[in-house]
Amino acid sequence: MGGSARSEIFASLRKTGRGETQENVQRERLSLGSAPAPEPPATEVCEAFILNVLKNQGSVDCVSNRSEAVQAIAHYLYAHFHNYRLVTGNDSRLGAMPWRDAGVLPRFGSLEAGEPVALSYARLGVVETGAVVTWTGKATPAANNFLPKHHIVLVDKNDLVLTMEKAWERIHHAFEKTGRARGINFIAGPSSTADIEAELVYGAHGPHRWHVVLLGDVPVDARNIASAAGSDQT
Amino acid sequence: MEQRRDTFIDNASAALKNLKQAERRDIIASFAPQIRAAAIDSFEGFGDLRSHVKKIRQHSLDNLDYYLSQFEKEAVHNGNQVHFARDGEELNSVVLDICQQHDARRVAKGKSIVTEETGLNSFLQSAGLSVMETDVGEYIVQQAGEKPSHIVTPVLHKSADEIRELFQEKHDLGPRDLHNTSDLVVEACNVLREHFLQAEVGIIGANALIAENGYCMLVTNEGNGDLCANLPKVLIVCTTIDRVLPRAEDATAMSRLLARSATGQPQSCYTSFYSGPRREGELDGPLETHFVLLDNERSNTLASNYREILECIRCGACLNHCPIYTSVGGHAYDSVYPGPMGSVLTPLLTSLEQSHLLPNACTSCGLCEEVCPADIPLPDLLRDLRHDESTKKLSAPRWRYGLKLHSWLARHPSTYQALTAISIGILYRLGRKRGGFSKLPFGSGWTSQREFPAPQEGTFMKLYKAEIKQNNGR
Amino acid sequence: MNEQYHDHSHPAQRMRVSLFVTCLADLFRPSVAFASIKLLEQADCEVTVPLQQTCCGQPAYSSGDYDATVPLAQQVIGLLEAADYVVVPSGSCAGMICHHYPKILQGEWRDRALKLAAKTFELTAFLNDIAHIEPQHKKPSSTLSVTYHDSCAGLREMHIKEQPRQLLRQLCGIEVNELEKSEVCCGFGGTFCAKMPEISGKMVNDKLDNALATGAKVLTGGDLGCLLNIAGRAQRQGEEIEVRHIAELLSGDLDTPPIGEGP
Repeated sequence: MGGSARSEIFASLRKTGRGETQENVQRERLSLGSAPAPEPPATEVCEAFILNVLKNQGSVDCVSNRSEAVQAIAHYLYAHFHNYRLVTGNDSRLGAMPWRDAGVLPRFGSLEAGEPVALSYARLGVVETGAVVTWTGKATPAANNFLPKHHIVLVDKNDLVLTMEKAWERIHHAFEKTGRARGINFIAGPSSTADIEAELVYGAHGPHRWHVVLLGDVPVDARNIASAAGSDQT
Repeated sequence: MEQRRDTFIDNASAALKNLKQAERRDIIASFAPQIRAAAIDSFEGFGDLRSHVKKIRQHSLDNLDYYLSQFEKEAVHNGNQVHFARDGEELNSVVLDICQQHDARRVAKGKSIVTEETGLNSFLQSAGLSVMETDVGEYIVQQAGEKPSHIVTPVLHKSADEIRELFQEKHDLGPRDLHNTSDLVVEACNVLREHFLQAEVGIIGANALIAENGYCMLVTNEGNGDLCANLPKVLIVCTTIDRVLPRAEDATAMSRLLARSATGQPQSCYTSFYSGPRREGELDGPLETHFVLLDNERSNTLASNYREILECIRCGACLNHCPIYTSVGGHAYDSVYPGPMGSVLTPLLTSLEQSHLLPNACTSCGLCEEVCPADIPLPDLLRDLRHDESTKKLSAPRWRYGLKLHSWLARHPSTYQALTAISIGILYRLGRKRGGFSKLPFGSGWTSQREFPAPQEGTFMKLYKAEIKQNNGR
Repeated sequence: MNEQYHDHSHPAQRMRVSLFVTCLADLFRPSVAFASIKLLEQADCEVTVPLQQTCCGQPAYSSGDYDATVPLAQQVIGLLEAADYVVVPSGSCAGMICHHYPKILQGEWRDRALKLAAKTFELTAFLNDIAHIEPQHKKPSSTLSVTYHDSCAGLREMHIKEQPRQLLRQLCGIEVNELEKSEVCCGFGGTFCAKMPEISGKMVNDKLDNALATGAKVLTGGDLGCLLNIAGRAQRQGEEIEVRHIAELLSGDLDTPPIGEGP
């Protein structure tokens, strides 16, 4: 049955299709160019990214190095849970972090029932949407994005891209080496729903808190924006 | 789609009498356009983006055979099984076959309008499967035994109180009173979390299929679709053949339009791309993945004058802005697709005979076209459907003949002007005292809701010709 | 065809304007057409009114009877195409001529439709954007509280938004008291209001409520269809709001009783 459905559908599509050669179709698509993207809310990349993350109801810490990153995560964990436990994928970049210096006790693997916090190391941050991008792999289970109550995401300043078009360039480039990942997630905020009387509620099926740790040489102005917003959050 | 009977006017009448729901619809009608406008006003290039995506969509549909086969090839390369279904019945049985091959008992579903269209849930349930909708709104609708009233926000027709009562009836709440809206959300999600963890099959829809890399795009705010895509052993993506776009960047360009138009967001919380089963060494993800691609009249629509409706991105903006949709609500349309886009799509997916009132639920006000991010000329398509209705003689004879008579008269100016001068003269004399009529022969539609204002003394043509005569005589 | 023209004035160099009266003004409110002539003459135009005109064909067209519409469109084109400008005191009839005739006609007729479309204007757009109209009295100022209903076709097909407001300010010293949701349909929709009366009734009621909420004494607008609809609802509800066409207000005609109110 499947075979005949397929051939029947393609036969009727060919009737309306232009029957162009692959070359012509691709040439025409190329001639249409790329889509316009919205202007970032600030000229400096970090500042623009942080503003959009905040708009998405995320909170942001800016840190200069891995040691500060661990400290900031420890601080976040203690402030919310009075302990230092989290779950994180078996990512070599995360494995090499100086966790002990701040007393953080990571469990490497996939989040299980009862574990409230997961940390992901984003491949990219997208300025345009204030989103972080992860893709699935041995060290990056998707469950860690969607099952925790709090999702902490570490992103390198060097991995910030302006638009989604730039994000795809980087993704396709990365996949040339590794092959295509099973899943790619652009995450822009804690999970939410407005299904009941149009009242916005954070924390539907996914995390109800989303915390981004921006790692690298972040300008002072951008840091100030992040910390000013942070002070009214907790 | 199931056989339907066109009961729009009766449904609308009942809906207008439900004042509580009408009040909630009025609130949405004020609120939704505001958040959309704010999002679009802050994006200067929105108009250019809209034209760009329109061109991409047209190009994709012009070459759909090419892109669909490219998608199929890439999706298979990514490890998926790709199935085609000519109609809803075929889609349903493909999905049931897959479930049965895995001895599945439980299915977790992300939001998918296409499977609403095919009636998949009841089909699987009648085969003994437990099927759970996991979008909070869809879950509530399912528990209430109702149908979605909106393509984006399915349960806005229900109040929080009604939902609370529903949960009190269906869930074991103990002493919990679910006082706040957030309590209701948490309650639904807790019940659903269990189901996610036990389901053997996840079913999701797709906002787009990407030809160049074989991924589907899934746009959600709750994250339920992602749980469906990542937790169960088997994933089935159900969508229609017209969703294919050439490139990944085309899908995200479309999502720029979609999120802003639907909810006023620059991006929904989760924009995800999936293709294929768990790769070696991965800790989670389905072991087997399927795409089921449905035609159900899309290829016929593509060949028709209505092909632009296939460019619809299902944002719901035309519903939120349509004064008729916001007056009567989604259920009045008795279709999976309500509002302006639905009034075009429903007759094409069923038949005009079954749905010819829907294209008449339109004042040609043009607001839907103005806000449509896909730039679909909805009022033109609706009028063209009324043209088909007229050609097929489906409209009420008194209307058809009345309009024919009017056109004939209007083409014969002398007769027209003589007749109108007499009738207006009579109307003037009858109505001049009261200023209007509360009843008129052949005018009950008008006078059921409003007075018919009395005309002035004499038609313009009569007065004007008299004036000319007088001037010439001077 | 035996076409009769009535010249209101003769000087050279003046813009030659044909007035398309519209069937609703012809039948129910001739004062709109007379006011339009007065305004156009005030703007120094030479006005002709082709006497064979009846209806633009919208009722048949909106109901999908394109076959019945085509000969009417051709009739209107034949009557109006000789003028320098065509002015219509209705956004929806102007929209019909400008946007819909070219859609349903082909070949030579389509070309003629496009030519006609290029010189056809809704009344307030013509007075504000093309012609130059001076207030008859200097420094007009008015305490009349007026709200304006944007008709859908005027707004979206003919882009009429600022023109009537600007003219009310300039000619009458009136600042429009804006009603909420001014860009939402009033529920008239041609045959819609009779085909789906209950829905139409809800829509016109919302419109009337928004108009009443402004506290304005007069509701005006550029399309008689909408105005008859709103006036009829106000009458039914016993609401005291005067409904008048914009041409009447602009020409200073406040003596004619408002729509639906006897002498």
